[in-house]
Amino acid sequence: MHTLGFEAIGTQWSLSTAEPLAPETRAAVAELVDGYDRTYSRFRSDSTVARMARAAGNWKLPASAAPLLTLFDALQRLTDGAVNPLVGRSLEVLGYDAGYSFQPSGPPLRAAGWKDTVSWTADAGGSVLTTAAPVTFDIGAAGKGQLVDLVSALLAEAGLREYVVDAGSDLRQAGGEPLRVALEHPYDTTRGIGVVTLSDRALCASAVNRRQWGDGLHHVLDARTGAPVDTVAATWVLAADAMTADGLATALFFAEPQALASEFEFDYVRMFSDGRADYSPAMAGVLFT
Amino acid sequence: MNRASKSLLCAAAGLSLLSAAGCASGEDTATADPAPAESPASSSAASAPASSPASSPAAAPDAAPDAAPDAAAGSGSYADGEYTGTGSYIPPSGTSEDVDVTLRLENGVVAELDVETSQKNPTSKQYQREFTSGVKEQVVGKSLDELDVDKVAGSSLTSQGFNRALDAIRSEATS
Repeated sequence: MHTLGFEAIGTQWSLSTAEPLAPETRAAVAELVDGYDRTYSRFRSDSTVARMARAAGNWKLPASAAPLLTLFDALQRLTDGAVNPLVGRSLEVLGYDAGYSFQPSGPPLRAAGWKDTVSWTADAGGSVLTTAAPVTFDIGAAGKGQLVDLVSALLAEAGLREYVVDAGSDLRQAGGEPLRVALEHPYDTTRGIGVVTLSDRALCASAVNRRQWGDGLHHVLDARTGAPVDTVAATWVLAADAMTADGLATALFFAEPQALASEFEFDYVRMFSDGRADYSPAMAGVLFT
Repeated sequence: MNRASKSLLCAAAGLSLLSAAGCASGEDTATADPAPAESPASSSAASAPASSPASSPAAAPDAAPDAAPDAAAGSGSYADGEYTGTGSYIPPSGTSEDVDVTLRLENGVVAELDVETSQKNPTSKQYQREFTSGVKEQVVGKSLDELDVDKVAGSSLTSQGFNRALDAIRSEATS
């Protein structure tokens, strides 16, 4: 396998393909990733999201925004508002801001209501998001997964049948040998708590151990309070696409799997901070005994 | 809520029917019990030819009247009687599970279908019936060095900017 590594949207990426990537494909990947970053990054001042933080208004988003916003609508509803991109404001207040200050400037902040503050429409040309107030829009719950899907689609369109797109916690595999993937212990990164086999699906993990900058301060916040969650330590979700798997991995910090299973097809492992874990039927035997 | 286990079962049934039909074509066994001697020949669903005549009977339990003529047309014909076969599938645990299928053809139509899963994994049994969460009271960690894996899935590595900023804060705090 040929591997291309790079850093983008705040994490390390690697693309593994049976054939080396053609220069034009590499350029197309770079452009795709950069375009996504230019729209959604809250860590650069020229992004659409940065402008959304300065004023209310109508914001033109790419065509790919429609499935992402549809997913957020569903997750917001199924988690009773715990998953909400407007939680970005509390991330900033707690110190995970564009300048990486890592200094809390106040107590956790309840996110503005999703339905009260944001509405959107979509047509063939793209989506328009309307915000009723300045907002800190953070698509972290599912955005990286979507970018993994978009990169995967680009590779498939370029004629590649076998590839692994790895954006750290989000993986998507197609063709070739199934991938054996260890589930990293959230409290000991030298260990795994189980191994799953990934084949023509996406596997997304969410855990609180790395994006952590102070006592009890990490990046998975309950939008209803703005505070970091402390009952779930890590989640892993397998689904057909990475955007869904990524979003569900976050939603499992707040919602019961059965509630999510009413609208999504997925498998999961969820580890609680007390060391317990639960998992879906097909994951029986994945965890070490 | 039952969708996950249903789709698993359906997938298993689909696979094993391919295998059963593949191995049974031209081979009419009239025995009711799965014949052990047949299992090795048909133990791999993946290697069974997934031809269209083989897959047509798979649709038969739900749409028997329509599917039967297709099956007959595509394959020449399947003689009435009992057919048995074994297929396998690999769940995410990676431990292969076998699926034994017995079906009875009557006038070219599947009249009876019986699917037995091996349930090698002790916890598989209940999960193959209903979508209930499994629970483990205490996870066990194994050293990644001992595990033969291609990737590790956990929280994503942070960017260099994040790491540099965090290092700076930490060194300020300790100086």
